[in-house]
Amino acid sequence: MACVWRLSALCGARGGRALFLRTPVVRPAQLSAFLQDQPAPGWCGIQHIHLSPSHHSGSKAASLHWTGERVVSVLLLGLLPAAYLNPSSAVDYSLAAVLSLHSHWGLGQVVTDYVHNDTMQKTAKAGLLALSALTFAGLCYFNYHDVGICKAVAMLWKL
Amino acid sequence: MAALLWRPAGRYGLRGRLGPQLCIRHAVPLGTSAKEDKERCRNKNAGLNRPISPYITIHSWSLPMAMSISHRATGIALSAGVSLFGLSALLLPGTFESYLEPVKALCLGPVLIHSAKFALAFPLMFHTWNGIQHLMWDLGRGLTTQQVTRSAVAVLVLSVLSSAGLAAL
Repeated sequence: MACVWRLSALCGARGGRALFLRTPVVRPAQLSAFLQDQPAPGWCGIQHIHLSPSHHSGSKAASLHWTGERVVSVLLLGLLPAAYLNPSSAVDYSLAAVLSLHSHWGLGQVVTDYVHNDTMQKTAKAGLLALSALTFAGLCYFNYHDVGICKAVAMLWKL
Repeated sequence: MAALLWRPAGRYGLRGRLGPQLCIRHAVPLGTSAKEDKERCRNKNAGLNRPISPYITIHSWSLPMAMSISHRATGIALSAGVSLFGLSALLLPGTFESYLEPVKALCLGPVLIHSAKFALAFPLMFHTWNGIQHLMWDLGRGLTTQQVTRSAVAVLVLSVLSSAGLAAL
């Protein structure tokens, strides 16, 4: 993931004594930074710094997670008309899986956003995992022992 | 992360008396990761017991802001509904039909049933259409302010229409 940061260069009081911040390469193991526009001495303006992570496994996992979230969302989007037009056992189980995963990841983002304490976040995530697992189990149980998701919605709607 | 670039500027740069050498030396540790920076900031502030500036209540509402929080709210509500359904399937006795029977026996008026169906369908439709808007943004399309406003209105209109359509089924 690439981020662009803006730095304001500061000008001296008089005589063009300019103060500006230069960023040499920092932390090569994690981030590499390079200046895009080398400023001239006494130059006052905006500097752009480009930071891109390299060899950082954490960001690769995060990037894959992001892509996975979008893929699951698109899958779920496709399953909705499929459930209406072609209800079947396969659609039932796919819905159970995709619905549970989508809501698990979605609620995971909510937890990440609002729970800041490290231990609290771990507990919340663990609780969420338990909830999602139980939900998935419950939906599969419903699909197997009862009428199944598609049929259930149809029955509910015929009320 | 911009804060860690600004901090040395604030402390040393603005005074304008120190030479560039000192600035550069103090500006060097810029490579901390965002996570470390956040942790450091939070730990520092946790001990200081500073009052939190009002930020939720005083912001003037905008359409994108309302859409975003509604997307989150409908998502949470829908997840809660699905989880409730799944857990009830595991914990409650009897079949799904046996729970529908007493509701059918209530012989509720068509208007009430219609409204209930609309109330059930609307969060799902809003979340779906808004989700499509999000996916479009993820593709990099429709990001200008005008496009965002237009697509937000489209999402709202489509949500109402599709919910009404579903309720009529």
